[in-house]
Amino acid sequence: MSGQVIAAIARKDLTDAIRNRYLLVALLTPLSVALLLRLMLPDVNRLNNFTIVVHDPDRSTLVSQLRAVPQLKLVDVDSAATARDEVEKIKAAGALVIPAGFDADVAAGKQPKLTVYVNNKKNSIEQASFRGLVERQVKSLDQRPPPAEITWINVREEADSQTGRGINLSQMLLPLLLLLTFGMTGALVVPLLLVEEKEKRTMDFLLTSPARLSEVIVGKALTGIVYSVLIAGVLLALNRQLIGNWPLTMLTILLGLLLIVAMGLLMGSIFQTTMQVNTWASLVLLVLIAPSFPFPGSPAVLEAAMRFIPTYYFIEALKLSLTGTNVPRLWGQLTVVLACTLVAFFAVIWTMRRAQN
Amino acid sequence: MNSIEVDGLSRTFNDLQAVDRISFTVEAGEVFGFLGHNGAGKTTTIRMLSGQLRPTAGRARVAGCDVTTEQGRLRPLVGVVSENQNLYERMSGRENLAFAARLYGTNPGRVDEVLQQVDMLERAGDNVRHYSNGMKQRLLIARALLHRPQIIFLDEPTRGLDPVVAREIRRLVIQLASQGVTVFLTTHYMEEADELCRRVAFLSEGRIVALDTPDNLKMAHGQKSLKATLNTGQTLTIALDDEAAGKHLEELVSGGHLRTLHSTEATLEEVFIQIAGRGLSE
Repeated sequence: MSGQVIAAIARKDLTDAIRNRYLLVALLTPLSVALLLRLMLPDVNRLNNFTIVVHDPDRSTLVSQLRAVPQLKLVDVDSAATARDEVEKIKAAGALVIPAGFDADVAAGKQPKLTVYVNNKKNSIEQASFRGLVERQVKSLDQRPPPAEITWINVREEADSQTGRGINLSQMLLPLLLLLTFGMTGALVVPLLLVEEKEKRTMDFLLTSPARLSEVIVGKALTGIVYSVLIAGVLLALNRQLIGNWPLTMLTILLGLLLIVAMGLLMGSIFQTTMQVNTWASLVLLVLIAPSFPFPGSPAVLEAAMRFIPTYYFIEALKLSLTGTNVPRLWGQLTVVLACTLVAFFAVIWTMRRAQN
Repeated sequence: MNSIEVDGLSRTFNDLQAVDRISFTVEAGEVFGFLGHNGAGKTTTIRMLSGQLRPTAGRARVAGCDVTTEQGRLRPLVGVVSENQNLYERMSGRENLAFAARLYGTNPGRVDEVLQQVDMLERAGDNVRHYSNGMKQRLLIARALLHRPQIIFLDEPTRGLDPVVAREIRRLVIQLASQGVTVFLTTHYMEEADELCRRVAFLSEGRIVALDTPDNLKMAHGQKSLKATLNTGQTLTIALDDEAAGKHLEELVSGGHLRTLHSTEATLEEVFIQIAGRGLSE
């Protein structure tokens, strides 16, 4: 592999892509959406700075995980009865009442009941964010969902009880925006970079030059990665306080964007015209970002279907890395992401070589 | 010394035999014409000789490199002007060449040299999409020359160009040959091949059906006769291998009866039709 050739191709594409209005729109859309949401949701950066009241007689894993999150402040109370009053008194985001033997019941798959008080005097964004945090933490306890049955209780309305519901803003926004960014780059920009070379026959020029096919593919991938990293960097900067574990989040994002760039290259290697890409890109984009949509109370079959989409594992890994919890499970998800990426890259090389001959 | 040596080269696409056991050699510095109708296998041959496409059978060495096993060494030694004007249209002419220079590791200063050579220096900063066909063709030639190749493949370089630009391209080809560059030229235009090429090969349905100098081909397949038009409007055909031809001509000239006199040497087009059984445009 020649670094000079790869750099030349990537440099050409980086400047050429922004001269293409279609590609420029595709690149700037996620950024525009992020900025718009930032303007609409000014508190989004402070979502995880919670005070949470806990009653945890058996010192459960769940509360230990919460204590490890630096943005959280946990206040212990002696009884379940005082938890709710304490929330109002200290203006906490909510309270968790952990039943005795919680860890053992989770391990045994008994789905123990977890009572969560939500301070509904807080604004809806903070409430949603708190609910999301609790859901993520509970989900991370075990591979088999759901590990526990959550009963949500608003501190001012005893009767308003919801099980496993409520929008999950932090879970939804940043992963969704990142996946939208990578999806736009992967499903639109990268395939078009490759398809244009074929359609305009400039690929013939590249392949009579010292560039080898693998170098052309890596050059295109590099272009997609650079654009994704730049836009993802802005998104992360805007939402930096949502990130619990920076190294793991960066690793997850890198592997995720490699996955989607590889899938974009695969599209580019299969399709022959820009019209084909334009026709299919929206559908592919929708499928790619589907795992980032919250489907509250979704049927098991939908959950199962999502597992066939490679980006599902990226989103799961991203949610875990954002909270910095359940690292072993995170590695498992990242392994799946890496495996899918490698399969996609090999498929690209195979498809292109086959087409070339 | 041969620049190109081809021995039994073949290429099939599924059931289609695009190129069928062709063999020929091209000397260094020669302008070699490869003529044939659409689908005869000209472009497939160029793609194989320039290392873009693997032959199904046979062997070829270009600039001393085996086209199947030494593609990496071959590519910097050849330049290809494709029949498609495959330029980056959102980039300027200079940016196109600068990109090619980076791929080949060529000194960036060479870009302006080749732009000057094809007389494109003034418009080099314009976007390629605003270029005429002739300008694009000149830029393609400049790109193919950028890395100083030993051999240049020109695939239909004057197709669709107006006569003035086509003449300019032909002037460039002659200039290249004078500099020692081997030119492998495919064209539909027989007059062009006749003017430029030292030797031509006729390709029909993937096979070489004739290979010689244009003069030899014309001599071998043309009539040895003269066509005379008299002042009365009458036309006569005078066979040159007739012993009485000289006397007959002398009488016509001395008697002042002759209005015009033409040789009836066959054109390359006519030779091609005779050999291949159909014309280039069919």
